[in-house]
Amino acid sequence: MKRSIVSVFIMYIFLSLIFLSCQKRETVPAGDKTIKVVTTLFPVYDFAKNVGGKRVQVELLLLPGMEPHSFEPKPGDIRKISDADIFMYTGKFMEPWIEDVLKGVPNKNLLVINTSMGIALAEDRDLAEHHKYEKKSGSQHEHHHEYNGKDPHIWLDFSNAQTMVENILNGFITKDPANRDEYLKNAEAYSAQLSRLDRQFQEVRASCKKDMIIHGGHFAFGYLARRYHLQYLSAYRGFSPNAEPTPGNIIQLIKNFRNHHLNYIFFEELVSPNVAETIARETGAKLLMLHGAHNISRSEWEQNVTFISLMENNLKNLRIGLECQ
Amino acid sequence: MTIVAVEHLSFRYNSVEVLSDISFDVTAGDYVGLVGPNGSGKTTAIKVILGLIKQTKGMVSLFGTKTNDFRDWRRIGYLPQKHTHFNPHFPATVREIVSSGLFSTKKFPKRIQRFDEASIDEAMKLTDVADIRHKLIGELSGGQQQRVLVARAIVNRPELLILDEPTTALDPEAREKFFQTLMGLNHNRNVTIILITHDIASIGKYASKLLYLDKQIIFYGSFEDFCVSDNMTNYFGEFTQHLICHRHD
Amino acid sequence: MDIFSFFQYEFIWRAVISGSFIALVCSILGVLLVLRRLSLIGDGLAHVTFGSVAIGLLFKQHPVYLSIPIVMASSLAILKLTEKAKLYGDAAIGIVSSLGIAGGIIIASVAGGFNIDIFSFLFGNILSISQAEVLTSIALSIVVLLSIFFFYHEHFATAFDEEFAKISGIDTRKINAILVLLTGITVVLAMKIVGIMLTSSLLILPSVTALQIARSFKSTMVVSSICGIVSVIIGIYASFVMNLPTGATIVMANFLLFLTAYAYKNAVQRKYH
Repeated sequence: MKRSIVSVFIMYIFLSLIFLSCQKRETVPAGDKTIKVVTTLFPVYDFAKNVGGKRVQVELLLLPGMEPHSFEPKPGDIRKISDADIFMYTGKFMEPWIEDVLKGVPNKNLLVINTSMGIALAEDRDLAEHHKYEKKSGSQHEHHHEYNGKDPHIWLDFSNAQTMVENILNGFITKDPANRDEYLKNAEAYSAQLSRLDRQFQEVRASCKKDMIIHGGHFAFGYLARRYHLQYLSAYRGFSPNAEPTPGNIIQLIKNFRNHHLNYIFFEELVSPNVAETIARETGAKLLMLHGAHNISRSEWEQNVTFISLMENNLKNLRIGLECQ
Repeated sequence: MTIVAVEHLSFRYNSVEVLSDISFDVTAGDYVGLVGPNGSGKTTAIKVILGLIKQTKGMVSLFGTKTNDFRDWRRIGYLPQKHTHFNPHFPATVREIVSSGLFSTKKFPKRIQRFDEASIDEAMKLTDVADIRHKLIGELSGGQQQRVLVARAIVNRPELLILDEPTTALDPEAREKFFQTLMGLNHNRNVTIILITHDIASIGKYASKLLYLDKQIIFYGSFEDFCVSDNMTNYFGEFTQHLICHRHD
Repeated sequence: MDIFSFFQYEFIWRAVISGSFIALVCSILGVLLVLRRLSLIGDGLAHVTFGSVAIGLLFKQHPVYLSIPIVMASSLAILKLTEKAKLYGDAAIGIVSSLGIAGGIIIASVAGGFNIDIFSFLFGNILSISQAEVLTSIALSIVVLLSIFFFYHEHFATAFDEEFAKISGIDTRKINAILVLLTGITVVLAMKIVGIMLTSSLLILPSVTALQIARSFKSTMVVSSICGIVSVIIGIYASFVMNLPTGATIVMANFLLFLTAYAYKNAVQRKYH
């Protein structure tokens, strides 16, 4: 009996070793002078690519299609971070797992960039809305905030995005001061693109007949709505799409939709648009996507979308949805 | 009428001979006590008779038909050995459990008809569980539970009832009541009974025949014959033989 | 929120109708599953569904259509493990379940990602049910109820004492297979319609509640169904009035029903002892 147990173990270990040693190991070509950057979210990835240009190799931790709010890093991810020169993330509220992971990373030369440095995070604005709503119906109850009530979706306000670009720029300059001028030039060019994007939004906004966004997704567009003076209602109170909406949430959206005589509601990327569809069925609304750019799908990846192109698409949809010129 | 006929039955398992050239007949109305020490092949013999396992050598027939070709299983009731197969907290009433003995033999769709109701009531009456028909099985004593299972085994009105050590978990009083029930079935309904038991002393009180098995047949015949046999005195010793026979008077 | 506005929203109606039918199916299957110690099969098969959806997305086939046969095969595998590998239901479920989710994660990794988040795809929500899903839940109910109804006595006999059932001529392997296959289909469909938390708890709680107070097997089935449906309706209404997440509220309603039944049983028992 004991002999068979031992032989099973030996067989298992033996087979595993054979299997694992046959795996291809990625080898870095010698003399590779590019800076290896690992990023967490798609905007950070895209900004880093634009600022670093040919001098950097940027990798995105999130697999296409993966929802970022419940992301948990695998051992392979930790190794990737460890092998990198620079690791860039959005902020401690978007990626709360950062601190623990970094503790386990042995690379002392790893430069860690928190791209949200210098950006003032907004409070849970939905909470403010929610308090108003609660007081009206007279019920009081406790709230549970995932991230202490701070909205982590900073990149959707393009002035914040510019600050992120600056933080990224500083990171590259610190690691590679020799090519400082090149990075500066890239950053300026990209920042200008962001400014142009912002202006486009402002122009369109001026002519909109409606000023309310009803979103079947989670509360992601707080910053964008604030910047362009739009009202924004989302179906989920929390910041993560895995929360459950209450009947009250849905009814509130339906009521607002009707009161403001809207014709369109928006759904979010990557997640099944269940709630948006429910509201659409109830109200006859037409659906449009508002892409939060947290992460992109496989087909978007293959189409080489960029942050700017995603936002331009958003603008196109907002234009239709808010009935602007 | 011969109910069970066993001819030169042998059973071998993993080069161990469990049964060796057994032959015996059971006639209608017999109440056979099948006894023997642990591992003597009693349960094996029963399983071969019931066609649950296949013999190595020999032939077994039920109601005149070879076991292989026998199809009329409704004529046989069987109470297997480990009776706590069932979960005692199962939410079934006595009546539901007794009824479940009926349905296997019914064709689709399975409905209880009036005569079925009569069978169920009769089975419960015979086993003295009619008063507790609406109680859950978990609320009954061990003895009552066993009687319910007997009721389930006889609701189809079998002519042959085979029980494998049905009283091991029962206290003396319950055991007594259980044997009374079987007696009633055997005397009043002419149900042929084969009962496997360790308790050679108390089986003597009820059974009409004794089949003592220890890989081979040591004895098969009426109790009277057992008690006067010198061979048996030699085999068991005077004290044991007296113990068995004393109870039979 | 006044009671009149409760009735004016279509999505609430669909939640009530679809939720009730799914509760009915789960409550009835649940009785048989709980008695055979397979109560966590709902969770286990949900994990398998995750893996099968990953496979479906990998091969660009419609994931739900591919899921159903894979999940049904897995439920048979669970059955086989309890028979052949001498395991109790919970261990068998654990094996298949871990395999499902690990397989799904590996496939997702190897595939290099998908176009949608798998979790969101799998987990429906009782407040966002479509017309088609209402019809599906009704069709599912009809299939499950008919199967259980026509084989009621076989299911009873097999669940109560499998050996005796076998000896008395019932094809217990067929009956066991029917039970787990029906559970498989139910889990895949119900998960997509009302989400896994609700499906899993509806497979367990109503029957456990019924077991506290029922006085026969038939009444266990009936009480379980009633508990399931009542908890759905009360849960939806309560979540409406108190503005709470609906699925979780239904689970709470179920649990409160259980507590009530348990307290009642204890009170009654105390009277007699």
